Amino acid sequence: MPEWDKILSNPEKFKKWKEAAVFLDKNIKCFLEFDPEKGIKLSGTGAPADRPETEPADKPLSGIPFAVKDNIAVKSFKLTCGSKILSNFVSPYTATAVTKLQNNGAVVIGKTNLDEFGMGSSTENSAFSPTHNPWDVKRVPGGSSGGSAAAVAAGLVPFALGSDTGGSIRQPASFCGVYGLKPTYGSVSRFGLVAYASSLEVIGIISKTVSMLKNVFNVMKGEDPLDHSSLPAEEKTPAGKTAKIGLPKELKSIELYPSVRKTLDSTIRNYKQMGYAISEISLPTLEYVVSAYYVIATAEASANLARFDGIRYGERDFSAENPEELMLSSRNRGFGKEVKLRILLGTYVLRSGFQEQYYLRAQKIRTAIRKDLQKAFESVDAVLLPVYPRPAFKPGSKEMDPFSQKLADIFTSTANLAGIPAVSFPAAVEEGLPVGMQLLAPPFAEKLLFSMCRDYEKVFPSPNPPDNYFNRSI
Amino acid sequence: MFQSFVGLEIHIHLLTKTKVFCGCKAEFGDEPNTNICPVCMGYPGVLPALNEKAIEMAYLVAYALNCKLNPMAVFERKNYFYPDLPKNYQISQFRSPVGTNGFIDLKYRNIKKRVKIREVHLEEDAGKMIHAGDISLLDFNRTGTPLLEIVTMPDLEVGEEAELFLQNFRRMVRYLDVCDGNMEEGSLRCDANISVNLRGKGLGKKVEIKNLNSFKFVRKALNYEIGRQTEIIERGGSIAQETRLWNENRDVTESMRIKESENDYRYFPDPDLPPFRPDDLFITNIKNRIVEMPEKRRKRFIEEYGLTGLQADFICEEKERADFFENTIKLGADPENTALWLASDVKKMLNRYSTALKGSRLTETRFFELLNLLKEKRIHGKIAKQVLEVVFKEDKSPVDIIREKGWEQITDRTKLSAVIEKVLKENSAAVQAIRSGDNKPLGFLVGEVMKTTSGRADPGIVHDILKEKLSLTFIHIISMGGAITGELTDDGTVVPGNPDIIIKQVEQKTGFSKKIRLEEISISAILSEEITPDDWSSLIFRVADLLNSQDTSGIVITHGTDTLAYTASLLFWLFPQPLIPIIFTAAFSPFTEKTAEKTSNKMSRSNAIINLSSSIEEAAHLSPGVYIYLDDRILSPLNLKFEKAAPGGFRNWNLKQPVFAGKPVKNVSQELFSRENILKKLKTAVNNTFLVKTFAGMRGDILIKMMDSGITNFILETYDTGTANLSESPYSLKKAFSTGRERGVRFFCTSQQETTIDFSRYITSRELWKEGAIPMGSLTAESVYTRILACYILAESEEELINLMEDTGAYTY
Repeated sequence: MPEWDKILSNPEKFKKWKEAAVFLDKNIKCFLEFDPEKGIKLSGTGAPADRPETEPADKPLSGIPFAVKDNIAVKSFKLTCGSKILSNFVSPYTATAVTKLQNNGAVVIGKTNLDEFGMGSSTENSAFSPTHNPWDVKRVPGGSSGGSAAAVAAGLVPFALGSDTGGSIRQPASFCGVYGLKPTYGSVSRFGLVAYASSLEVIGIISKTVSMLKNVFNVMKGEDPLDHSSLPAEEKTPAGKTAKIGLPKELKSIELYPSVRKTLDSTIRNYKQMGYAISEISLPTLEYVVSAYYVIATAEASANLARFDGIRYGERDFSAENPEELMLSSRNRGFGKEVKLRILLGTYVLRSGFQEQYYLRAQKIRTAIRKDLQKAFESVDAVLLPVYPRPAFKPGSKEMDPFSQKLADIFTSTANLAGIPAVSFPAAVEEGLPVGMQLLAPPFAEKLLFSMCRDYEKVFPSPNPPDNYFNRSI
Repeated sequence: MFQSFVGLEIHIHLLTKTKVFCGCKAEFGDEPNTNICPVCMGYPGVLPALNEKAIEMAYLVAYALNCKLNPMAVFERKNYFYPDLPKNYQISQFRSPVGTNGFIDLKYRNIKKRVKIREVHLEEDAGKMIHAGDISLLDFNRTGTPLLEIVTMPDLEVGEEAELFLQNFRRMVRYLDVCDGNMEEGSLRCDANISVNLRGKGLGKKVEIKNLNSFKFVRKALNYEIGRQTEIIERGGSIAQETRLWNENRDVTESMRIKESENDYRYFPDPDLPPFRPDDLFITNIKNRIVEMPEKRRKRFIEEYGLTGLQADFICEEKERADFFENTIKLGADPENTALWLASDVKKMLNRYSTALKGSRLTETRFFELLNLLKEKRIHGKIAKQVLEVVFKEDKSPVDIIREKGWEQITDRTKLSAVIEKVLKENSAAVQAIRSGDNKPLGFLVGEVMKTTSGRADPGIVHDILKEKLSLTFIHIISMGGAITGELTDDGTVVPGNPDIIIKQVEQKTGFSKKIRLEEISISAILSEEITPDDWSSLIFRVADLLNSQDTSGIVITHGTDTLAYTASLLFWLFPQPLIPIIFTAAFSPFTEKTAEKTSNKMSRSNAIINLSSSIEEAAHLSPGVYIYLDDRILSPLNLKFEKAAPGGFRNWNLKQPVFAGKPVKNVSQELFSRENILKKLKTAVNNTFLVKTFAGMRGDILIKMMDSGITNFILETYDTGTANLSESPYSLKKAFSTGRERGVRFFCTSQQETTIDFSRYITSRELWKEGAIPMGSLTAESVYTRILACYILAESEEELINLMEDTGAYTY
C-alpha cells in the first residue's frame, strides 16, 4: 500500500502518482476533471513542493487525496453531474461533507464520472464518456458512482465520495471490488449534493480499506444547519462478534447469477466460521421495493431537475426568441434520454388525481418496508443481502437492458427506502470479476457495519485488479 | 335576484431581516441581483433552511386570525415553470398549512358578519421579470423573501365590504409588527375571486381579479365585476371562468386568460424540509407575543372609554397612538378629552413638526398634565392650546410653562366672590336695573370682573357667582312660529302671529316666581311646513350663543307641529349634551280668547298656554337635555313621529325609553358655530339630501333624475304598505343603486316597522343593505335626515363628512 499522506507533499512521489493516474485513466476514464494542484491550493495544504515531507499529520486525513463524484459541489471545480446542461458549470461553493474533509486535511484531486444526475447503473449515461471497469475494460464499472469506484479500484485514490440514491455507491463498489458505504439518511449533510431524489439519497464513501471507510465517515457525519433533514449521529454500538445476521428467506426464490449465489453461500459460511449466528428472517415487501423506489425517485427528480432551465446558469439556447422558449429548448438539448424518461415518469405520477394511485401508494410501501426491517432488527443485528443479482456486465443492452437494470436495484433500494445504513464489501472474485455482498443495519449502526466488514476484510481483503497503481507504485 | 360571493387571497411580505430559506437580506428595493446567494438562486445542490422568525410570524398571524394552529406544518413544492422562479417550483404549503379555519369579525354598514379564513400559509416569493424592448431582465432580490398567504372563504358580498376587510386586516398585521402593509409597494397584495349567481343557487363560475394594488381598486374592481357578471346573467349569458386584470386607467376589468381547467401544480411534500412541529414553548411564545387586535381594542375603547366610533377609529388606527392614548388615561386623564385633543390639536402639532407621537416632546405624562390643568380649571381652552405649542417648541412640561408664563386661571370662588362683591358695589345702578327686570347689564358686570382679573377669571364661575348673588333664573323663549304663536282667522285657517301675545298671557295667567326671567327671541313667524335652512341656522346659532353665554338656565322653543320632529332631532344631534334643558313645545291651534273660553271640545280647545307655561316651569327644573313637552308628556327628540292619529299627535317610535341626551355625532366646541357657516352648510345639505318613502308604485328611475339634479344622499324609508322592488323594471330601485354607486351617491335605509310587522313579501332593509344602503337601525327617517344635516354642519372636510355619515354605530338606540 502506498503512503497516501505523503504522495501530495513529496514532489517526486506526486509526479509519479500523477503520471500513473493520467495513464490509467486513459483506459478507464474515471475522471471528468483531474486537477490535484487546484485541490491542493483549495485545501490550504500548499503546493506539493512547499510542504516538507516530514510535517506531522496533525489532522486525521492530513494530505490524503480523494476524488469526488461530479454531482457533489467543490468550489472552483466543475459540477457537471455528467450532463450536457451543466457541462461548463463551475461550482461557487463547496458541499458541507467535502468542507469537513478538507478541514481535516484531505485534498480533492478531481471529479469523477457518473450516470447523468446519478440516473443509471453503469455510468454509460454520462453525457461525456462511459467509464470502464478496471477489472475488465470491456465491462461497466457499475453506477451511478462508477467513476469513483473505478478510481478507488484502480488505486488512484484511497477513497472517493459518491452518492447513493438506490444503490449508486454499493453496486459500483461491488462491481469494482472495493468497499462502499451508504450511511443512514440524515447522518451526512446533503448540502452540496445535486439533488436527484432528495428523500432517498445520501453522500457516501467508496474506499479500498475498512479503516479508511470508517475514518472518512467519522469526519463527514453530523448535523448541518444548512440541511434541515440532517440529524446528529447518535452512535449505536451493538455486540461485535456475537452479532446475529439475518438472511431473508425471500432470497431463495429470487434468481441470482451463479457467481453471486455462490458468493452469498461462501459469505454465510465465512461469517459462521467467524462465530456469527445466522438466522432466517422475512421481508415480505421486498418484491414491491423497486416499483415504490422508482415512483418516489422520479417524482422527486421531476421537481429537483426543474431548476435546470438555462436562465441563470448552464447551457443555454441563444437562438430562443423568448424566455419560455429558452427554457424549453435548453432542457430539450441539455438532458439525456434517461433523464428525460425519469422526469416524464415523475411528472406523470404526481398529476393531481393520480397521486393516490402512484405517489401516495409508493409512500405506503415505503412505510411497510421500513416496518418489515424494524421487525427484522428486533431479532437480528444486521441483514445480509447480495448487492446486485450479477457481477459487472458488458455495456450496451446486450447483457442487461435499462429496464432489467432497474429491476436489479431490488437489493440496494431497500436501504434507501428505509433510510438505514448499508455497506457493500468485496466477498469474492469469481470468473475474474469481484463480487460484493451487502450488510444492512438499523439507523446509525454504522459502527457495527464497520466491525463486521473489518472481520471479513481479515479473511478477504479488497482484491486488486490486474492493472493498477499499486502494481505500478511498488 | 342575485347573490355575489367574494373571497380574497392576500399576500403579505413578512418583516424578517433575512429571506425565508437562506441568509440573504430580505430587501427587494436594492440594486438588482445584489441580495442573492446559491440557495435563493436555485443553484445545483443547495438546500433550503427554514427561517425561524418567519415561521414564528406565520403562526402569530394565524393565531391572531383565530385559526386552528397546525401541530405539523408541512412545506410542499408547487411546480410550475416561470423564468422568475429559480427552482421552477415554489416552496409553499398545501395539505397542512400553518393555520386553518379562522375568522375576522367585520361590521359593515351596521351589519355584523364573520368572514371565515380558510387558511394561512407560508411560502417564498418569486423574483421579478421586466421586459425591456426585445430583452427580458430578471431581478432575483425578491426571490425567497417570506410571503404569508391568507385565503378567505367567499363570505364577502360587495366591494366596500372587501375594502373594509382588507383595511382591518392591514391594521392587524401592522399591530403585530409582521408587515408594513404597504399596498403600493407590494408588501400587501390582494387577488380577489368573485362569482355571481341567482340567489339560493350557490357559487357561480369563479373569476379571479389580479392587479389590485390599492384599497380603492379592490372596491372598484369588485363592484365593477359584480355589475358585469350580473348583467351577463340577466341577459341569459354565462360567465367564463377566467382571470381578469383591473385596468386603473379605464376603471374596468379586462380578460387576461381564460382558464380551461385549473393548473396542475403537482403539489408534494418537500423532502428537503421536515414538517415544522411547534412545541409547547413555541406556542406559548406566540400567545405571549399577541397584542390586542385593533377591532377588539376599538370596541373596547368605545365601551370602556365612551369614545365615538370615529374617535375610536382614529385612536386605534395606529398601535402607537392607541398605546399613547391608553397610557394617558392610565395616568388619570379623561378619555373623551384625551381623544378630542389627540385628534385635533396634538395632531396639528405633530403635522407641524412632522414627527410621530413616539419620540415627540409630548410624553404621556406631559399630555396628562395639560389635560389635568384644564380639568382642574387652572387654565382654559385657549391657554391650553398655547401651552401645547410651547411644549413642542421649548420641550418643557405644562406645569412649568404656566408657572413661568403666569397663565394660571383664577378659579378660587372665595377670591372671585371678593372681586365680584367689589364690582357689584361699584356698579349699583346696573344691579338695580337687573333686579327690576332688565338683563342687559349682566354682560357689563361680567366684563368688569374680567377686567379686574386681567382676563384670568374663570368665566363660568363668574357667571355662577353673579347669578347666585343676584338670585336670578333666566329662561329664554325662542319662537319658531307655528300654531302656538299663530292667529286664527275668521275662516278657521291659521296664520303666523305675534308671539308677544301668548307670552303676555302666560305671564299674566300663571304668575311665575319672580326669580324666573323670560326673554323672548323671535326667529321666525312662519308656519312650520315652510321652514327653511335660514330658519334652522338662525335657531342653531342662537341656541349655541345662549349656551356659550351661560346667561340662561333653560331654553323653550315654540314650534309648529309638522316639522317639529325634524327641528328637535336636529338640535339633539348638534347639542346632544347641553348644560341646560332645551324644551320644544307646540300647539294644535292658536290661542284666542274664543278657543280658550267657549269651546268645550278638547281637540279644538287650544293647548297653547298650558303647553308653554308648563314648558317654562320644566325649563327651570329639568336636568339638561333636549325635550319635547306636549300635553303633560315629555317626549324624546330622537325618533319623534308626527302622526295626527297618535295620542296628542306625536309619539316616539322604536324607543324603549325616551332619550334626551346622547353621544355626539362629533365632539365639537360650540364656539365654532358661526351663522354664515351653518347656513352655507345647511343649504348644501338640504340640496344634497332627499327623503324617499319607497312606496309600491314608485318609479326607481326617478331617483336617477334626482341624482342628475345633485342629490347625493337618499334616505329610503320602507313601508308596510308595500315597497318599491329590486327586479328589472322602471319601478325597480336596482338601476338607481348601480347608477348611485358609480356616482358615489349614498343610500340610507330605515325600516321602522320591520321588527313588528311581517315584511317577508317586501324588500327589507337588509336587501337594500346588500345593494349598498346603510341601514340606520331603529332611527326614524326624520332623525336620519337631520343627522345627515348635522354631519354637514360638523364636518370639516369631505372625507370627514362621509365618515360621520357612515359611522352610525353609536346611534342605534
